[in-house]
Amino acid sequence: MELLDRYLQAVKKHLPWERQEDIIAELRGNLEAQLEDKESELGRPLTQNEAEDWLRQIGAPIQVAARYQPQQYLIGPSLYPVFWFVLRTAILWVMIVYSIGVAVQIAVHTPNWSAVMEGVLRVPEVLLTTAAAVTLIFAVIEFLAARHPGRWPLPVLPSADWMPSALPPVEVKTACGKKPRHFAHAVAEVIFGFLALIWLLLVPAHPYLLLGPGAAYLKASPFQLAPVWVTFYWWVVALNLLQLGWRMVDLLRGSWRKAPRGQHIAMSAIGLIPLGLLLLVQDHVYVLLKHPALDQAQFGAALTSINQSIHWSAVALAILAILHLIWEFGRMGMDAYRKRLAAMK
Amino acid sequence: MTIAENIFENLRLELRRGCLTLAVLAQLREEHYGYTLRKALAERGLEIDESTLYPLLRRLEAQGLLTSEWREEEKRNKRFYRLSGDGEGIFAQLLAEWRAINASIDNIL
Repeated sequence: MELLDRYLQAVKKHLPWERQEDIIAELRGNLEAQLEDKESELGRPLTQNEAEDWLRQIGAPIQVAARYQPQQYLIGPSLYPVFWFVLRTAILWVMIVYSIGVAVQIAVHTPNWSAVMEGVLRVPEVLLTTAAAVTLIFAVIEFLAARHPGRWPLPVLPSADWMPSALPPVEVKTACGKKPRHFAHAVAEVIFGFLALIWLLLVPAHPYLLLGPGAAYLKASPFQLAPVWVTFYWWVVALNLLQLGWRMVDLLRGSWRKAPRGQHIAMSAIGLIPLGLLLLVQDHVYVLLKHPALDQAQFGAALTSINQSIHWSAVALAILAILHLIWEFGRMGMDAYRKRLAAMK
Repeated sequence: MTIAENIFENLRLELRRGCLTLAVLAQLREEHYGYTLRKALAERGLEIDESTLYPLLRRLEAQGLLTSEWREEEKRNKRFYRLSGDGEGIFAQLLAEWRAINASIDNIL
């Protein structure tokens, strides 16, 4: 039957070459026996339409051939959980490294908005490249494991030798009712902390980043900032560095789940130091005249008023900071008290 | 096909897959080639597509559960299969498992 020959030829094309002849010979034997049965039942050969219906019912050649192949995956169910975990981790860390790299490059070479936009617009490309690279690596692992299971066992998640005691503790709500922080939250804090630090470091060279149009006004005005602001600025930079370092250590140690109340309190306490510096400035001199001999008569009163305003603003800020610190201490005390009560129950 | 029908079809195929293997192993306690095996199973109420049965025979043979030999019958070369020694052991275990599951389901129902 010519149609059956054509059908078997089409199936053969989709079979692995080393088993083609064997499979087709067997399939031919089975299908010819079936055809004979059908024809003897009818008492005549099948018509063209009947033969087509019969072969259509057996299945399209590519599907029939596919059934003879082992089940194939790009990334199979055993490997998929590992792949998904690695993909998420890789994307997170690539984004951290990329953000830091771009921020440093912008700070050192081209501190302008177009460089920032270029960095942002390249994010999808970086993400896609990372995902493609991870997928490719896992597809190769899957391929090798399927072809040579003895030599390349699948690196599946630990099953037999895992330790229940090594599991992370239950994610309970904190005493103040908040859920534990998410990993992405902790990563975002590091990324934005780093970007904020870069921004802060750019301020001396580009004061408009902090003051906006006020930078041009300050430059043209008869006033200038007193040296205390330099000390204040470096304290703020040091505080930011300390906070960033603290968060990175938390991330690397895996202790990012804990709400960082201790950190908040420590940072609030250390943050009082630069405020104290401002409060202790002798005679409350925060702003100076560029040319005192020339401008004292005209701008002396304004200068005194500006310095007094800054001083009282610093006093207000310090009071707020101290109240905030007391509030944080109080909440920490309440948390400890609630924990002790819960433990007693 | 509606979503419910699709879910049912997937579950039905999943349920059937293991049973088909068991039925094929049971039937191959006697020697058969592909087409007569299919007919024998159909006569006992278990219809299996050609495109499912013939590759299944190959897989079971590759796993060592079946043996096969080419032989001429009615002027045609045919590949005859039968349960191997290992296959008999595995078949007995699978049958016990299937009976236990069946009994449990009956108890639950």
